[in-house]
Amino acid sequence: MTAIQAPQAVVPAPAEPQHDGGRRRRHPWVLWTALAVAAVVFVYPFVWLVSASLKPRPEVFDNALVPHHWAPENYATIWSAAPVLTWMVNSVIVAVAAAAAVTVSSAIVAFGFAYFRFPGRNVLFALVVGTMMLPGAVTMIPTYLIWNELGLAATQVPLWAANLFGSAFYIFLIRQFFLGVPRELFEAARVDGAGYWRLFWRIAVPLCKPALIVAFVFELRASWSDLLKPLIYLRDPALFTMPRGMKSILDQFGQAGESRWEVVLAGAVLTTVPMIIAFFLCQRYFVEGVATQGRKG
Amino acid sequence: MFIRTSRILVAALLLAGCGGVGGSDSDSDENATVTLTMMGFGTGDDIAKTRFDAANAAIAPSAAKASEGSFNAQQFLSAVASKTPPDLVYMERRLLGTYAAKKALVPMKDCVDQEKIDLSQFRPAAVAEATLNGQLYGLPEFYNNRVLMINNTAFADAGLDPASFSTADWPTLKANTAKLFKSKGNKLQRIGFDPKIPEFLPLWARANGAALVSDDGKTAKLTDPKVVEALTFTVGLVNAQGGWAKFKSFRDSFDFFGAKNQFASNQLGAFPMEDFYLNVLAGNSPDVKLTVAPFQGRDGQPVDWITGNAWAIPAGSQHPKQACKWIKTMTDSPTWIAAAKARAATRQKEGKPFSGVFTGNTKADEVIFRDVVKPSGNAGFDTGVKTILTTQEAGVAEPAIAAGEEFKAVWQDAVNRVLEGKQQPAQALAQAQQQAQTVLDQANRGS
Amino acid sequence: MSSRETRAAYGFLSPWIIGFLIFMAGPMVASLVLSLTDYDVLTSTDFVGAANYQQLLADPKVRTSLANTLIYTVLHVPLTMAVSLGLAMLLVRAGRRSAGFFRTVFYLPTITPKVAVGVLFLLLFNGQVGLINEVLGWVGINGPDWTSDGQWIKPGLVVMSAWSLGSTVIIYLAALQDVPRDLYEAAEMDGASPWARFRAVTVPMISGALFFTLIINTISSLQTFDEVYTAFFGSSNQQTYGNDAALFYVIYLFQQAFQFLHMGYASALAWLLFLIIVIITLLQVRLSRRFVYYESE
Repeated sequence: MTAIQAPQAVVPAPAEPQHDGGRRRRHPWVLWTALAVAAVVFVYPFVWLVSASLKPRPEVFDNALVPHHWAPENYATIWSAAPVLTWMVNSVIVAVAAAAAVTVSSAIVAFGFAYFRFPGRNVLFALVVGTMMLPGAVTMIPTYLIWNELGLAATQVPLWAANLFGSAFYIFLIRQFFLGVPRELFEAARVDGAGYWRLFWRIAVPLCKPALIVAFVFELRASWSDLLKPLIYLRDPALFTMPRGMKSILDQFGQAGESRWEVVLAGAVLTTVPMIIAFFLCQRYFVEGVATQGRKG
Repeated sequence: MFIRTSRILVAALLLAGCGGVGGSDSDSDENATVTLTMMGFGTGDDIAKTRFDAANAAIAPSAAKASEGSFNAQQFLSAVASKTPPDLVYMERRLLGTYAAKKALVPMKDCVDQEKIDLSQFRPAAVAEATLNGQLYGLPEFYNNRVLMINNTAFADAGLDPASFSTADWPTLKANTAKLFKSKGNKLQRIGFDPKIPEFLPLWARANGAALVSDDGKTAKLTDPKVVEALTFTVGLVNAQGGWAKFKSFRDSFDFFGAKNQFASNQLGAFPMEDFYLNVLAGNSPDVKLTVAPFQGRDGQPVDWITGNAWAIPAGSQHPKQACKWIKTMTDSPTWIAAAKARAATRQKEGKPFSGVFTGNTKADEVIFRDVVKPSGNAGFDTGVKTILTTQEAGVAEPAIAAGEEFKAVWQDAVNRVLEGKQQPAQALAQAQQQAQTVLDQANRGS
Repeated sequence: MSSRETRAAYGFLSPWIIGFLIFMAGPMVASLVLSLTDYDVLTSTDFVGAANYQQLLADPKVRTSLANTLIYTVLHVPLTMAVSLGLAMLLVRAGRRSAGFFRTVFYLPTITPKVAVGVLFLLLFNGQVGLINEVLGWVGINGPDWTSDGQWIKPGLVVMSAWSLGSTVIIYLAALQDVPRDLYEAAEMDGASPWARFRAVTVPMISGALFFTLIINTISSLQTFDEVYTAFFGSSNQQTYGNDAALFYVIYLFQQAFQFLHMGYASALAWLLFLIIVIITLLQVRLSRRFVYYESE
């Protein structure tokens, strides 16, 4: 498979956002039908979830998409049973801190692996990827002990601070995109006297914004939905994040075998909605990244 | 940086090496104001909250802080590993053995002596369940009975009389199951009788006059011919009702906690079940016609396999004396009675009946069911509650086992293998026996 | 390769290196050491040498869980990549704004809390009353008992896992949007068919992303835990039916570590998995070397 050479002009991107206007649209309805079918399949779990959360207990699993009886009080039950707002705020703080920290640090490290040629590069990168290969269950307790040594075991710090040092998944991801930047751009800037940090900050980062946004959003979601770390680190309910809080509600309403699924599912919706909003907001940046990128070069 | 890391690593390994035992086990000042920490308990409903407040009042000005959430092994182990265990822990009684054997919990003897706790107020089966090697490790809370629940409508449909239905005669049970079972082509329509295996195998074993493990929890008895017989019989019931895959799928499709549950929709004839389900039915489908009867062994005597929870004090608890005082009040009969009254009041406000709570505390039960529980207007449920009350006397529990979780997994795996058709009962149990005994021997080394 | 460049490179890599030394190296080495002991977190530990590894080789559940995990991975990874790529290509043609909406829809199941997805799986895939079999019934197929028949549990899980391929779709979308438009136009002018365009332009240009998702999805697939645990082992009720067909490797590891308190044995299990993942990843890297194209090289 030979690669086709891309144009090498170092010209600012066209102001016009990318359309795929160059492609002939044959049978557009095929496209839209396929997307619609896929969309239905993918949106179904969430629709079911919302619908079930609005049903009264006896009807939660009756498989009807539209509730026969509406029970919005499920949400009121949760809201009054626990400091949900506090938990949401906690989740936002922790998730944003985690996502921001990991995106910035991973980008820096990724640049180190993508741009430079130096001895030990491949071995070190293999080590980075290797850290993803050991199941977390067995490093959980030693890690807890370390945070305990540092005196931070009962705080929210362990939930995000490790991200200050980059994370293998995002380093790998962002590196792939950095590798897609033509070397000539860097060479030209070096000739102009740019330092390495400039290469990173002024060339690599702007051109690979989509990758950074992707990393940010992924980590936002991962941190937001993480239950295990808050479970073992946080003791004070005022510090709980949403999933941890929801678990305590679940356990509360699950005592004596009374599985109040309608409340549990309402909690699941409350946990999901902020993430969806965040995702929608970040869509703007996805598109911006694509639009300003224009052609390579 | 590296030296620091190595030191931390060494510290980690040393901590691991020393295990979780340690820390002082006496309060510096018994009357100091402290906050007790706990794991595994949440103050969700009236029953929990009322008692929680009462226990706090008993140790005032100190207080306990609720933990929000049920027991989680990872959370507990992390705390113990870092030498910061909670002062109190609440878990199912069946888990006590595993942690007690590892000395993660302190024996209750000192606590019982110190606070002069009257152990005779607790039901003997519950106390036995919390006792390992002759030592008590937890104060029991709750007494979950297992009784037979019969769907009168389904029985009428099949021409059977609930009053004369019994699990004592196995061939008759088999025949009745066939009468109650209904299917159409590939789809099941009604399960006649659900033996609830693997989880209820201990019940069936006892019904047949055997047990899965010796009373001291040290010797596995899975190859006892009576156990094999129990397994063969119950698997036979499942196979006669569509086979495991279909049987389980159909059962999973029940609206178990809903209005269209298997009783209301006639999808089940009868089954042994934990007593809480009576409340569920009363709440969701009060018009259901059901009969509650004791589960009978083959000798015609009732067999009530019970489980429940318990309060324990972890080794390394900072305030064991205060903790002891706290749990004494928590499990005391006056506290239970006050909690039941609170719950009854709430239920009355909601227009729902209060069907009582099986506390595991004989004195509390007596008062609660005599004075606090009022007739609900639904004869079936009221009779059911009375039946369960009398059945409590026949309560029997699996003894505390040092490697309880693993032991359970071994025999449940065996049952699953048989259900899936991979092995015959005798074979599966023989394999399990070998594995189980190894597990038990290892766990009981040095005890 | 100047030493100045090397120093700069390590400068960029320093965040990760520091983080690794503080948070990862210790626990990883600790778990390796612990795999040679009978560590159970609560009592004093005895060194047992290779006993755990010997036990591991003789343990039939290790073989079962490993087989389950490998079969699942072999089915899941290609399916995910193919379907994600298909969806991403549809999205690229759909236009900017629609792409945003559909991107959110496809990512939605990933955001939905696992407890809800697990419950939904058991509902939809139920052999007697589930929606899946109902739909199959419309076309005359008698669907199997997806959730209780040992033979069909894994295929069912593979299908369920397709729900969460939103992340992969997003990565492919970002990569596809990177492909310069004029490459396609040039190929079209040369008379290339859509398939030839796909082979000669699309695949090489996104090969970096393909490589990444192959490695990442394989690594995470071999460590599958959450989805399966929620569906088949979540509550202690479900535990009793722990179907052998659903026993994945990390689930077995988890049981050994936290239910049976055999942390030493679990550590040995973890390192065996590590070894297997390393080997598989190396194979993948070797095979991919011929196909991956980076513009910067």
